[in-house]
Parts: sequence; structure tokens; C-alpha cells
Amino acid sequence: MENTGYVTLTRQSGLMREMEIIAHNIANAATTGFRQQGLVFSEYVQAVDGGESLSMAAARVKKTSAAQGILTQTGNALDLAIEGSGYFQLETPNGLRLTRSGAFNVDPLGDLISADGHRVLDTGGAPINVPPGEADAKVAADGTISVGDQLLGQIGVVDAEPGADLERESGVLFKTDAALAPSEDGLVLQGHLEGSNVDAISQLTRMIEVQRAYEMGQKLLDMDHERTKTALQTLIK
Amino acid sequence: MRALKIAATGMTAQQMRVETISNNLSNMNTTGYNARRAEFSDLHYQQIARAGTVNAADGTVLPTGVQVGLGVRPAAVSVNLAQGSLSQTNSDLDLAIDGNGYLEIAMPAGQTAYTRDGSLKRNAEGLIVTSEGFPVAPEIVIPQDARSISINPEGEVYAYFADTAEPQLLGQMNLVGFANAKGLEALGGNLFAETEASGGPLAATPGEDGLGTLRQGYLEDSSVDPVRELTELIEAQRGYELNAKVISAVDQMLGATTQVR
Repeated sequence: MENTGYVTLTRQSGLMREMEIIAHNIANAATTGFRQQGLVFSEYVQAVDGGESLSMAAARVKKTSAAQGILTQTGNALDLAIEGSGYFQLETPNGLRLTRSGAFNVDPLGDLISADGHRVLDTGGAPINVPPGEADAKVAADGTISVGDQLLGQIGVVDAEPGADLERESGVLFKTDAALAPSEDGLVLQGHLEGSNVDAISQLTRMIEVQRAYEMGQKLLDMDHERTKTALQTLIK
Repeated sequence: MRALKIAATGMTAQQMRVETISNNLSNMNTTGYNARRAEFSDLHYQQIARAGTVNAADGTVLPTGVQVGLGVRPAAVSVNLAQGSLSQTNSDLDLAIDGNGYLEIAMPAGQTAYTRDGSLKRNAEGLIVTSEGFPVAPEIVIPQDARSISINPEGEVYAYFADTAEPQLLGQMNLVGFANAKGLEALGGNLFAETEASGGPLAATPGEDGLGTLRQGYLEDSSVDPVRELTELIEAQRGYELNAKVISAVDQMLGATTQVR
């Protein structure tokens, strides 16, 4: 009897969650290297004794868009963007993390660090030391960093194996247990930053869809309530 | 209702971006000013369904979980160390730094500050000082009867006198470099102070150790690019509106919720 309500409820709570993800995407529309997220609903079928089965909605799979974000020129020698696939490797207190956000700096000891202060690793997994005068540092498309004729190292651009799960962490970081391999088509672009790949228009459209779908669900609950009420009243009479 | 709070963090972030842009635009003509850029980073993620959770008795695992992020936070306001263009002023004591480095300034309270603003002056005692009157270190005194001053790219200061043909060497100006110049703390008045992040000052003769050279009779213009700032401003404004739109949409969803009885 209450099945209508329960089925609608699964849909409503999923929509609410999707709204949160849209809000998070839009809030991060200006975050360097941010990857847009989406939610996929799946069907959850429940058997009902002596009747038809119930089909409910479950929002359980998120997908991360791999689209290239817009490259903005900044002119800073240590602002690096990756054109194509791949991630920079960072050494954080919690272990190796991947990021697309290449707003790098040099710490007082000369190590190349991310905006949050994590050391950037080279292809071999070692930190990179940049002598004072970073404004003259040149970074080639394959990540090779040099000052003048002095070779400093090669910034690692790696890709996780296809289909590997990348777990998000704050600070535009990704965590993965999957095997990493040098990226095949990722090129490093110096003096640029990759903007967020959030597509504001599609997010806004989806937001309106979600909102209307939610209102429709509430309407359904409302009508179901009316139906039950009328049924009761008719029966009581 | 997390979505409301998430959108609010977005609005705060865009507002900070507008503040950075307006500071850049108001310093469009400040000598030696370097444009700033607000950078953002995403906030903590809540794990609703963790990826890799066993989903069935046969060992099937969830390939991707559900993670809801909680919005955005300002990560840094980074300084763009790009060289500003040099404009000619023909004044004896106007110095532009062509390349890396800062001039060292002795502050009245005894501490040291650093600047790229080379619009220097001479005070009553003949000392070379900044526009605010703080002496440049190491101190150089210009004799009162000096006819003209010449400062070469390597920082040697010469005075010419009416009675002799030979110039007299008054002193040597130094430049100071930092391991991480972006880590300097801006004090206002075109001055910077060293921090833990910037590393200690490394003084050297201009032109050495990766430092720039001095250009007498030039000043370094602000490196603010008004076209870039205006495009950023439009983006920030629209970003703000988008976040506000999310708030009103969530509000309407909540309205729909409360109307059900």
C-alpha cells in the first residue's frame, strides 16, 4: 500500500544527492585542474511476496569527466598544464597522489612543490630541485625541466590503467591503488594552467531537470496522499 | 541540505576572485606591481558508497563509488612574477630591475624589506631612499656638488663633478634573490618581507646568480593585463550568478518538500 511512497523516496533522495554534486561542480567552476562529476542511477529490484516486483532507483555510480579543461595563459614559469591525458604525481603525507592542478612553486629548499606544499615527483618518483631564479626555468613538452643548459629532471606525467578507480580527495587530488604508467599523449605546457572542466551550461540544464523531477516526485507523493485519503473517506462512509 | 552550503562556498570563492581582480585593476599603474591570481581547490569528499566495496557474495565489487564533495575553498592568491614592461623616465635615480631580484630597503624599525619599485630619490643627507624615504641598503651617499649620477647595469654608482672629468665611484648597489619569491609577504607600499616560505635573502651583484640587471632612467610598469582581468571579472561574475542560481533551485526544491503533507 505504501509502495508508491517508498519507490518515490528512493528517487527523491537520489535527486537530492545529484543536486549536491551539481552544486559542488558549479562551486568548483574556477578550481584549477578540477574534474566534473556526474551521478548514474541504477535500478534496484525488490521482490514482493505474491505480486509484481518493485523497481526502485539507486544513485550509486559516480563518473568523472575526463574532458580537457580550458587552458589559460598565466605567464608564470612554474604554472604547468597537461594537454591530453595524464596526471602530475605529488608526494603527500598520506602517500602518492595524482593531480591535474599544475600551479607549482619552489619551497625555501628549492624543491618543486604544489600549491598545497606537496612535493612534485619526477618520472622516477624523486623530488625535483630548482635553483633560485625559477623564472628562467624552462619546461619542455615531455616534462623535462631545465635552467639554462643545466638539466634539473623530468616531471612525471602518469596515467592510471584504463578503468582504474580514482578516488577524490580535497585539494584537487586523486588517490588510486592501480598501476601507473607514463602517459602516452599527455604533453606539458609551460606558463599555462588547466581550468576546471565543468561545463556550466550542461550543469545548469541538469540542475533545472533535477529540480523539476524532484517537484514531480513531490507531486506524486501529494497525489498518492490524496488518493489514500479519498479511499479512506469513501470506505468510512 | 548540503547543496545550499556547497553553493555558498562557491559564492564566497567567486567573491574572493572579484576582490583579487579589483585589487589588480586598481594597481594597474603601480610601479613594480605584480598581478595576483586567486587559486581554488576542492573541499573534503564524503564517501556515500566506497568504491571497491564487495557488492555480492561472489566477490563482485563496486567499480566506482559515490563521493559527494563539499564545495570549494581558496587555496592561494599567487603572485605572477612576470616582468612588467619598462618605461623610460630619464630620471637619474629611477631604476628598473630587468630580470629577477629585489632591492633591499632598511625600514625605520630596523627590519629589512624588499621592493621592485625603483623610483628612488635623494634625501636631505644625500642618501638614496625610496619614495617613502626609507634608505636603500647598502647605504650610498651622493655628494651635494655631484653634477650627475650614473648607475651601470651591474649596480656601480658613479658621480660626475663639474671640476673633474673622472667619475667617482660612490658605491655598489646589490640585488636580492629568493628561492621562492612568490612566498614573500606583501607589506603594502610596494614592499615585501621575507617569510618561512620564501627562504632567506641571497644578495648578489646585479647580473650574477640568476639575478637581473639594473636599468637607469627606466621604471618597471605594473604587470597587470587589463584585458585578462576583465575577462576574469566576467567569469567571476557569471560564476557567482551560477552559484546563486543553485541556491534558489535548492530553495525551490525545499519549498516543494514542505508543501507535501
